[in-house]
Amino acid sequence: MKFGLFYEHQLPKPRDGEQWDEDAEHQLLKNALDQLELADTVGFEYVFEVEHHFLEEYSHSSAPEVFLAAASQRTKKMRLGHGIALMPPRYNHPARIAERIATLDLISDGRVEFGTGESASEMELGGFGVRRDEKKRMWEEATRECVKMMTETPYGGTESEYFGMPSRNVVPKPLQKPHPPLWVASSRRETTMVAARLGMGSLGFAFETPEEAKERVADYYELVREDCAPIGKAINPALAILSILSCFDSDEEAIAKGAEGAQFFAYSLGYYYNPFTGGNHRPGGMNIYKQFIEKPEEERWGPLGEGFRSFGGFQAGAQNEEPEDEVTRALWRAAQRGGCIGTPEFVRETLTKYEDSHLDLMIFVAQCGARKHEDVMDSIYRVGTKVLPEFNERHEEHQRWREEQLAGVDIPINSSI
Amino acid sequence: MAAKLKQIKDDALRESLTQAQASLRSGDYPDVVHRCADAYLELLSRKPEMLEGPEALRSILFFPRLGAHLVQEADGSMTAVFDREEFIFSEAITYFEFAVDSLAKHEL
Repeated sequence: MKFGLFYEHQLPKPRDGEQWDEDAEHQLLKNALDQLELADTVGFEYVFEVEHHFLEEYSHSSAPEVFLAAASQRTKKMRLGHGIALMPPRYNHPARIAERIATLDLISDGRVEFGTGESASEMELGGFGVRRDEKKRMWEEATRECVKMMTETPYGGTESEYFGMPSRNVVPKPLQKPHPPLWVASSRRETTMVAARLGMGSLGFAFETPEEAKERVADYYELVREDCAPIGKAINPALAILSILSCFDSDEEAIAKGAEGAQFFAYSLGYYYNPFTGGNHRPGGMNIYKQFIEKPEEERWGPLGEGFRSFGGFQAGAQNEEPEDEVTRALWRAAQRGGCIGTPEFVRETLTKYEDSHLDLMIFVAQCGARKHEDVMDSIYRVGTKVLPEFNERHEEHQRWREEQLAGVDIPINSSI
Repeated sequence: MAAKLKQIKDDALRESLTQAQASLRSGDYPDVVHRCADAYLELLSRKPEMLEGPEALRSILFFPRLGAHLVQEADGSMTAVFDREEFIFSEAITYFEFAVDSLAKHEL
C-alpha cells in the first residue's frame, strides 16, 4: 500500500468574524506547499488536489493545476494528482484540460495522475449551468475525447453532444506514454465499478471501512479482469480511499488537535452536498464554521445526517465534551479516533487492516477545518517517520499480489502503484 | 460482478439482470436502465420498510438520477420516470451496479 495526502484547502471563517483575515488564503496555500515539501521527504508518494468552485470554507481549491504546478517545483518524487479535474465542458473545455495535464506532466518530469470527475454540489452545478442528470455523460464524453487529444496527432475532432471542435493537434503531449494514469472520483460503490469497467483507478471519497474496502477490491479486480473496456489507451488498475489523519504521541493530543477538523470536514461536506442546505447557501454571507460550532449536536446533521456524519471517519456523535456515562464515553472516544486519529501505533493498526484488504493507496486528509499548520506538519512528520517505512518496505508483496490479479489482462497498463 | 449476480435469490430478477449484463456488453444501454429500474422497484415493493421513515428518503434519493428517477405516487407506490431514452456506458453501468448491489444486499 502506498500513501498520499489530499487537499481541499479548507478555510473556516473566524468564529467571530464575517470574513477571513486578508492574508488567510495566501497563508493557506503557502502552508500547504510547505506541508507537501515535508511529506515528499518522509515517504508520502502522492498528493491529490481537488477542484471545487464556490464552496467557501469547505474548499478554496478552484485552480488545482496552478497549485500542482507549484508543488512540482517544491517536491522531487511525489506524484501530482488531480483529485479531480472537473470534466463537464462547462467547467473546463476538454482541450484546455489536455493541455494543462500535459504541461504539468512535462514540468514535473512525468509525475501526473489524471483524476477525473463530475462534481455534485448544487453550488457548483448551478454556478456553471451543468445539469445534474447529464453530468455523468458529460464526464464520459469529455474524458474519452481528452485522452484522444493527449494521444492522437492530430486529434481528429468531434461533434459530440456537449462540445464540438474541429481537428487540431493538441500540444504539448504528456511525458508519460500513452498518457498519465487515469482515475475517476468514486464517492459511491457504483462509480468504483464504472472505474473498473473503464480501466480507471478508483479514487474512493467515501471513507470506506477495511471490510468495505476488501469487498470493493475483490469486485473491482474481478471486473478489470473480465469486463474491462478501457476509456483510454492504457489502464490504471488501482483503488484509493481517504482517511482523516491526526497523529501525535498520545491519543488525547491527536484527538484534541485533530477531531474538530475532521468533524468540520464532515459537517461542511454534508452542508454543501445536502440539497436541503447546500442548495440554499447564501454566497459570501454565511459563516459555516460558526454555525458548526454553535449548533446543538442534535441539529447538526439534518435528514441525511448519519450518512454524512460517517464521512468524517467517526460514527457516534460529534459533541465536544466527553460524555459522563462510561459506556457512552468509550463509544465517543472510539468514534473520535475513527480513521487515523491517534498515536503512531493506533494509525499503524488501522492501516494494517487496509493493507490486509489489498488497498492500493491510502490518501490522508491532514489539513482540514481550523487545524493549525504546525499540527499538520507534526502529523505528517510523525506518520512519515514512524509508520510509513514498514508499509513501504512491504509494498513489493502487494505488487506481487496485484500482478496475480492482473494475470491474463492483455491491455497496456500505465500505473504508478 | 458475476459473483454478486449469483447472490440474487429470485430467479426472475436474477435472469432479468443477467440479461441486463448482456445488454451492457452489447451496447443496448436503455434496456439496461429499464431492467435495473424495474428490478429496484420490485425490491421496494417487496421490502416496504425501505419506504418508511428516514429510510424512504435514502431509498429514493440514492437511486441514480442519470436520466431516470423515482417518484412516489399519492397511494405511496413508486414509479420510475425516464427523462430520456438515450443512455451511455457509464450511466448504464451505474444503474446496473446499483440494482445488483441493492438486491444482493437486501437478500432478494
